[in-house]
Amino acid sequence: MNFADEVREIAKQYPDARSATLPALRLAQERHGWLPPDAFREVADALGLTPAYCKAVASFYDMYHLEPVGEHLVEVCTNLSCALSGAQKVVDAFESELGVRAGETTDDGDITFRTVECLGGCGYPTVVAVDNRYRQFVKPEDVPSIVEMVRGA
Amino acid sequence: MALKEVLLAPEGERYAQVAKARAMTPDALIAELQAANLRGRGGAGFPMGRKASLIDRGSAKPKYLVVNADESEPGAFKDRQVMAEHPHRLIEGCLIAAHAIEAKDIFIYIRGEYLAVYEILQAAVDDARATGIFGDVEVTVYRGAGAYICGEETALLDSLEGRRGQPRPRPPFPPVQGLYNAPTQINNVCTIATVPTILELGAEEFAKTGVESSPGTAIFSISGNVVSPGNYELELGTPMRELIYDHAGGIPDGRTLKAVIPGGSSVPALTPDQIDVPLDYDSLAQLGTFFGAASLIVVDDRCCMVQLALRSTKFYMHESCGKCTPCREGTRWMVQLLEKIEAGDAEHSDIDLLRSVGDRILGKSLCALGDFAVYPVASYIKHWGDEFAAHVEHGGCPFEGSSSLEGIVAPSDAHTHHPVAEVPA
Amino acid sequence: MSAAETVTLTVDGVEVTVPKGIGLVEAALQAGIEIPVFCYEPRLGPPVGACRMCLCEVAPGPPKPQAACTLTAADGMVVKTAKTSAMAAEAQNATLEFILVNHPLDCPVCDKGGECPLQDLTFRYGPGNTRMEFQKRTFEKPIPISPTIALDRERCILCYRCTRFSESVAEDGQLVAVNRGASSMIATFEDEPYRAPFSGNVVELCPVGALTSTQYRFEARPWEIQQVPTVCGLCPVGCNISATTREGKVKRILSRNHPEVDEGWLCDKGRFAYSHLRADDRIEDPLRKVSAHRFEPLSWGDALDEVELLLRWAGSSIVTALSGGETVEQAYGLAKLLREGLGAHAAVMPEPVPDALDAFRAPLSAIRDAPAVVVLCDEPVVERAPVVDLWIRAARRNGARVLTEIPEERIDGVVLISDDADRCAWFARDLGAAAAYYLPRTPNGRGVVDAWSAASEGEPVDGEPKLMIVSRDLAAADPSVRALAERAEKVIGIGMFEASFRGLADLVLPATSYLERDGTTVNLEGRLQRQRRTVVGPCPDELAWIAKLAERFGVAVSPYASTTFEEVAGRCYGGISFADVSDQASLPARAESAAELAPPPSTRVAEGPGLRLVAYTPLFSGAAVERTPELAFLRPDGEIELAADDARARGIANGDAVTVRSNGTSRALRARIVRDLAPGVTRIPRDDAEGLHETVEVSK
Repeated sequence: MNFADEVREIAKQYPDARSATLPALRLAQERHGWLPPDAFREVADALGLTPAYCKAVASFYDMYHLEPVGEHLVEVCTNLSCALSGAQKVVDAFESELGVRAGETTDDGDITFRTVECLGGCGYPTVVAVDNRYRQFVKPEDVPSIVEMVRGA
Repeated sequence: MALKEVLLAPEGERYAQVAKARAMTPDALIAELQAANLRGRGGAGFPMGRKASLIDRGSAKPKYLVVNADESEPGAFKDRQVMAEHPHRLIEGCLIAAHAIEAKDIFIYIRGEYLAVYEILQAAVDDARATGIFGDVEVTVYRGAGAYICGEETALLDSLEGRRGQPRPRPPFPPVQGLYNAPTQINNVCTIATVPTILELGAEEFAKTGVESSPGTAIFSISGNVVSPGNYELELGTPMRELIYDHAGGIPDGRTLKAVIPGGSSVPALTPDQIDVPLDYDSLAQLGTFFGAASLIVVDDRCCMVQLALRSTKFYMHESCGKCTPCREGTRWMVQLLEKIEAGDAEHSDIDLLRSVGDRILGKSLCALGDFAVYPVASYIKHWGDEFAAHVEHGGCPFEGSSSLEGIVAPSDAHTHHPVAEVPA
Repeated sequence: MSAAETVTLTVDGVEVTVPKGIGLVEAALQAGIEIPVFCYEPRLGPPVGACRMCLCEVAPGPPKPQAACTLTAADGMVVKTAKTSAMAAEAQNATLEFILVNHPLDCPVCDKGGECPLQDLTFRYGPGNTRMEFQKRTFEKPIPISPTIALDRERCILCYRCTRFSESVAEDGQLVAVNRGASSMIATFEDEPYRAPFSGNVVELCPVGALTSTQYRFEARPWEIQQVPTVCGLCPVGCNISATTREGKVKRILSRNHPEVDEGWLCDKGRFAYSHLRADDRIEDPLRKVSAHRFEPLSWGDALDEVELLLRWAGSSIVTALSGGETVEQAYGLAKLLREGLGAHAAVMPEPVPDALDAFRAPLSAIRDAPAVVVLCDEPVVERAPVVDLWIRAARRNGARVLTEIPEERIDGVVLISDDADRCAWFARDLGAAAAYYLPRTPNGRGVVDAWSAASEGEPVDGEPKLMIVSRDLAAADPSVRALAERAEKVIGIGMFEASFRGLADLVLPATSYLERDGTTVNLEGRLQRQRRTVVGPCPDELAWIAKLAERFGVAVSPYASTTFEEVAGRCYGGISFADVSDQASLPARAESAAELAPPPSTRVAEGPGLRLVAYTPLFSGAAVERTPELAFLRPDGEIELAADDARARGIANGDAVTVRSNGTSRALRARIVRDLAPGVTRIPRDDAEGLHETVEVSK
């Protein structure tokens, strides 16, 4: 199924096709890896919206990437509960292991590393999401093996 | 009667209560829910049955049931466990609540980050649909995309409509004009997942559990500086001390308790001498704080309260939707003031200014997010004012690098503008 | 009004009884009390409560300040504004403090300075000093979001008026807010220009100096300008406008809300095209042809002598082409001179409007309130009568059905809009329409026809014309007028721009613009409206020299619009006086007509795989637009409009390059998929459609 048809299929689930904007943007991001200008045009065309509208929506939400990201996304929660339990040191460990600062992508384009707000795993600090899959109770010493695993994936 | 686990207990016969509910008229079912006096577990504590009674069922428009599974309050992680372990309990509650308000469409709005839970929930919905229990009702699981504000019910509706998730002015309230401008009931996961138990026990019995003003159990998420963080389902009214010391094992590493933020990071903190408070809506309100999302963040004596305030405020600044003035501009100003205080560059008057800026946000923003940014910080200044003053007098953080939050990191900017120049005001 | 339809409340101690359902801001206003606002603007849809400027103390209600703009007046409500409530005063002061935290306070160099709601409200309700000492948010500025509009994001207070206009009024969806929280900002997609027919309204909606007109930037200070109320003369809607003038020059056009006509909206042509007044090829003196493509100026005395000679030579063998751009008075003066003085009754007129439509007359605002709207238009409504398109959108948002075909069932209260006069009249009766609107091509076609008929009842005589008079550039651009002029021995032009008359006229007399003359026009509703001389043009008013010339033929024509109007009005407008045509004109009563109507031919549908081609005159075309460089980007850019189904059947996506073929002619155009276009029909701007036949084939 082509993209537009797939989006229109999703839209049928909702009383108003506009509701399909978020799912359609997610789908477009899966196809492109991020949301380049063309992705907004595709979503807009499929749903009868404007590219500007679609970008306005995407830029509101942290999970849409408006700039290219690496093959893999590693995110560390730095909100209160994780921070009280040492998330800063986990961040440090990732930064030194990957050689990038939070918000950056490794030179080989493999991994984008970023710090994020509460992931809803406060009881299991520190929470690290690798491509949206959670790893919990992460300690600085776990970081090298996580990076190795991500690179191998 | 004592009630142990409701939400986290092993499941009995699935969907047993749906038939019972459907045998009742919607009016009778709403009466039953009202009699149970189940208070919303999402944060505001509004009685679920009363909410259902406000639905404009005479409206010619369709009615919608929306489940708020956007659990994003720092400190809260209980909806996630309920959905991951007992998704059918939630779906069963949905079907019962939908019958009460005569809704045919149910939307479960789950935060985008909960990918694994989404997969479990979606599979459960598909399984349930296959059994035929849905009848003419449809359940749609909708994924958010990373915005705390979508936990605010009207922002959630805008997001579910495919928009930027910004809160709407109220009135009109969702029971009159909600999703697609139609009457809409919105409840938190734990609220809806408790509904089957109300049917099972009967409202009268259920109302006898917990405390009179807040019947039932709640899952308490406890995190931060405790030995055994996690979710504990307890009857409402359980003393906070019991949760912290008996269930969660107390404070680790021989440290002492400094503060408890009882309802998720958005509520005023309590001091160690206040922890005998029973965990229910009214008792916490009497102490000037909130039951909120029943999510306790425990802070030990290693933590610098200015850093705690700064990290908390950065979160609310990051999550401010940008729609209303006080929250958008005020949270950023608060962060600037807190950074100045933490850096040791502040005067005492800056602390007064911070308090004043907070007062000017409080009660004036479009939704509660502005208040959420202010409540905790105001309470830190109130109870730990000496520590703020010490930053001024010491010319820097009196913890001198030893605070547990030292080196706190804010979230990477997901989307921002690129300023061309920084100019002084 | 009965008690059941009103509520009584108290505002700052003043008891006021207001209609049920109105908002607190309006209710307070009825008590003579201001509740300050920024984001609140009822024309943009439901209130959003974003800016928090309107916070008041309201009982009953929670013990905190309430956003008055989102509340409806209710019986017994007690409202206290900043005037009587410390809570409200503190809240409003706080809001202004927060707004100013990141505002650059560059009022001395800001175009909005002196007419800025933010300045005014800060003065009245805001703090006198700043407590903010940190770095303010900075942005690259100003950014041209289009050639006509500049955006200064630092000044923006994020009231979302502009984005709400774009989303909920014009529905162009191009100006949006991006990012979140303190990083929020107004933007277009990928910094592409805001290319939409109503974009300029956001400049007027902006309550600060964030969105400014590139034409007006640094042109004037509010204390140096005059606002002259008049009516736009660029299309048949006749939007009410104010011309901002400084030192005798038009500097800006603003809307002047006529709630029945335009609701305060204006298209970008009406707003920005005024710079054609100062075009390089503007005719300021009479011109005489010296070679095929060259004119030379001559004095008014010589010119009038020459015209007199030509008129006497031609006698009744004159054909006059009127454009529909004249005022009623100009058309009448010319008609009286030619018809009474010379018996020259032959004329090429703007399209007539059937009298039968007078029975369906209604204000344009009735479209918004209709349960259903039938739009029988080949040409896009927005291209012919732009603001009508906004009324249709408002109707749709109100829940109206908008149909592009004749409904099979009867719909009570249906209104009809058509670009075909005969179809409009016929179906208005046939449907039992509550109102019907014919969209003519010209701004004042109705008034010109009225004026011409009022001047005389004489019938034209047959025979080839010796002299042709071509009135205004619009007529000079009409191919049929040009063809007729070819057959005349001599041609006199009356117009604004040399280029319009090169190769056409032997003698050209200068014409005024609609912004430079006094008089009346009749819009598509049949509403008589007043145009005023907002600035003195580079040439005398047409009526002045028509009167002089008429004198030479023993015909009395007054050089004053007021006197001339009263003469016309006595014959066709019920004898109303010039003064009665107010600056917010009312609509005349309906007039029943017994005229028999013939059923119109059914719509042509293309046969075979082809599409029926509709060639239309784009809104952004014509002499005025061509002389406004800032509007060049809005001129059609080789686009072909296709219905979604037709595009899909041909595998064509939005923006694809397509080839259009008919009868051996082919053209490369870019596809634009349009949702409200009937399947089987395609639309191309007239210039791009040249040489194409009625049925075209479109392929990738």
